[in-house]
Amino acid sequence: MAAAIELRGVRKTFGAKVAVDSLDLTVPEGGLYGFIGPNGAGKTTTIRMIMSILFSDEGEVQVLGHGSALDAKDRIGYLPEERGVYKKMKVWEFLRFMAVLKGVDGSQARGLVKGWLEKVGLGEVEQKKCEELSKGMQQKIQFIAAVIHKPDLLILDEPFSGLDPVNMRLLRDLVLEEHGRGATVIFSTHVMVQAEQICENVVMIHEGRKRLDDTLGDVRRRFDPRTIRFEPLGDAADVPALKAVQGVTGVRLENGAYEIALGEGVSPADAIARLAAASPASGIELHRPSLEDIFIAIVQEDAADAEAAEQLRASVRAGAALGGAR
Amino acid sequence: MKRTLYVAAREFKATVLTKGFLFGLLILPLMILFLVMVFPKLIKSAEKAPRVEGQVAIIDSTGEIGPALLTYLEPEAIARRRGDLTDAADEAMPDVVKEIGGKRMAEQQQQALDLILGKVPQLEVLDVGTGADIEEEKLPIRDFKMEDSEAGGRLALVVVEAHAIRPRDDPKSGEPAYGSYDLYTADKLDDRIVDEIRGGMREAIVEARVQARGLDRGDISRLTSVRPKTNITVGETGEKKASKKDEIVRFLVPVAFMALLMMSVMTSGQQLMTNTIEEKSSRVVEMLLSAVSPMELMTGKIIGQLGVGILIMLLYGGVGVAGLMVGSLFGLLQVSTLLYAFIFFMIAFFMIASVMGAIGAAVNEIREAQTLVMPVILTIMIPYLLWMPISRDPNATYAVVLSFIPPINPFVMMLRLTSSTPPPVWQVWLSILIGIAGVYVALKMAAKVFRIGLLMYGKPPNFKTLIKWIRMA
Repeated sequence: MAAAIELRGVRKTFGAKVAVDSLDLTVPEGGLYGFIGPNGAGKTTTIRMIMSILFSDEGEVQVLGHGSALDAKDRIGYLPEERGVYKKMKVWEFLRFMAVLKGVDGSQARGLVKGWLEKVGLGEVEQKKCEELSKGMQQKIQFIAAVIHKPDLLILDEPFSGLDPVNMRLLRDLVLEEHGRGATVIFSTHVMVQAEQICENVVMIHEGRKRLDDTLGDVRRRFDPRTIRFEPLGDAADVPALKAVQGVTGVRLENGAYEIALGEGVSPADAIARLAAASPASGIELHRPSLEDIFIAIVQEDAADAEAAEQLRASVRAGAALGGAR
Repeated sequence: MKRTLYVAAREFKATVLTKGFLFGLLILPLMILFLVMVFPKLIKSAEKAPRVEGQVAIIDSTGEIGPALLTYLEPEAIARRRGDLTDAADEAMPDVVKEIGGKRMAEQQQQALDLILGKVPQLEVLDVGTGADIEEEKLPIRDFKMEDSEAGGRLALVVVEAHAIRPRDDPKSGEPAYGSYDLYTADKLDDRIVDEIRGGMREAIVEARVQARGLDRGDISRLTSVRPKTNITVGETGEKKASKKDEIVRFLVPVAFMALLMMSVMTSGQQLMTNTIEEKSSRVVEMLLSAVSPMELMTGKIIGQLGVGILIMLLYGGVGVAGLMVGSLFGLLQVSTLLYAFIFFMIAFFMIASVMGAIGAAVNEIREAQTLVMPVILTIMIPYLLWMPISRDPNATYAVVLSFIPPINPFVMMLRLTSSTPPPVWQVWLSILIGIAGVYVALKMAAKVFRIGLLMYGKPPNFKTLIKWIRMA
């Protein structure tokens, strides 16, 4: 499959700060990629370099077969993280303006705008000024501006931030629809849960470097589950019996259920059977690692001391909680 | 290119179709219209101004002034003098205006003049005799009320000095000196009446002095008056009667051109800056950059504002040219001047617009822009400050030098071009060439600042940072 995006050895510094360092990335045509990483990891800088809004200090960027996204602008849809609207313009005028700038024929633009507005449930705001809309509504308008010209490549920088759950779902479906149409989609988020819900591939960026680039399934497989969640049938389980089971290295009570850690090389299937036999259970399952867990596991490798790791864990959890709350 | 023009069209519409801009654009012509059409009607409504009736008391130790003052202040005499004034005003009015206005205009003017002068007052002169006590005679003046002016009463007291007509030796210098008069008037008395009394006293005293010397007043006025003649200019094209209004217009045309240039350039430049700041602060700019390159965006915005500048030029310049045509003074302008004006407008516009666009892209809000805009405005003001010296001596060394220094060369050159002694053609074209080179450099530098500044948020840059940005990209 041809690559929609190809980055080789890309590096970008702002003064003394290295924002992105020796980044290699290949996104195949038709891919659905999520860029994840905490705030300030270098996601937006990477995306801006892909868009040729910023230029890399070193390395090579190829977008849709061109050396610069500028040469393929009409085929790219972009929802920047720093996004806004012309406050004084009417909604449909703004969208028509953006559409025409992206190569949509002026005579068709009006109809397209109308169709899209109705699709996202904003049919009645067509004649309103952009400043009269709520932030969430504006975000949907901006999304329309990114996709109205049916791009081959759709790049969304933090598309879900600031949306309520209903609109988040709506936008997610629209993104998946664009992908189903055949567009290559890349989006970034610092909320891991969102990435888990949508993307096929994850690219994890931390401190300007790529730490992970794989399909979601492979990532999960690679980060082999070593934890079993055990819910006792009665009030409490026979903890000493559980501890005694072969391959178990630890048992921890958390929210009324037991987190049972397994040692290296132990087959989870065998362990489940043995655990069920040791103590009656109402539920027993393999605890699949979330992207968040994986991210923390990866980052912990370079965290020099436990304190730094704990700080990071807290910051990622805070991001997730924030994302969940939204 | 299509995108650039589309950006330009939006920029133009977004600027022109705002209430603030339309108001600002039309306020000046509307004010002129107001002054011409509505203001006279407002004066007319003041028609109810009351007629003043009252008594002017005089203590006349010479005994010769009183009767003359009485004659001067007779209502008929006052009315006659006002009639003369109207005639004089009529004379002073340009023929063109008279032709356009026709008879109706003359009537209106007469009316307007009547209104300005107020109704003819009924003044009675009372000689209270030389022996009267000044303090006592002043008392009735206190009771005079302007609000109740038709009720009569004493409104003024004139006390004539004894040597007002025949001089006496001054005790200090020993030279013969004439005396004068003291005038006491009611509080808030209409100053037109005070003027009438003063005029009457002057007339009466001069008349009396002249007669006391045994001279004839008519003789003196004939001896002292020389009919004014306008000068006739002798030029290559022939002789021509110079006229005052030509002189005034000739004096005003250069500064009018410069002001027009400056106004259109600065208005559109400011708009470019504020629009860019708005795009940046509303975060719409990165959306735009996904569709157009920074260069296309800047070019489009500048072209859009060029349209705004031209609109202002045409509107105000058109009014000015129309005004000159009405005054059949269009001959004072040459078509080449208008052409040069356009060229220099373009140069000045692109220079200022690129600077303002760069500033707009560099800062986050208007407040931050002020420190960067201030030096630009001060520089542009230089030709304004030098308007008088340059238009008096358009080919002075400093004027020549300044007309080669961007960004003020278009303004200085425009001043010199429209002055009485235009500069040699080679200087004009050198200035244009330097201007074009300046525009090229300014646009180049602006493009760099624009592209870097657009996505820079946070601390507003100073000139040092801007120069760093220019070197960077």
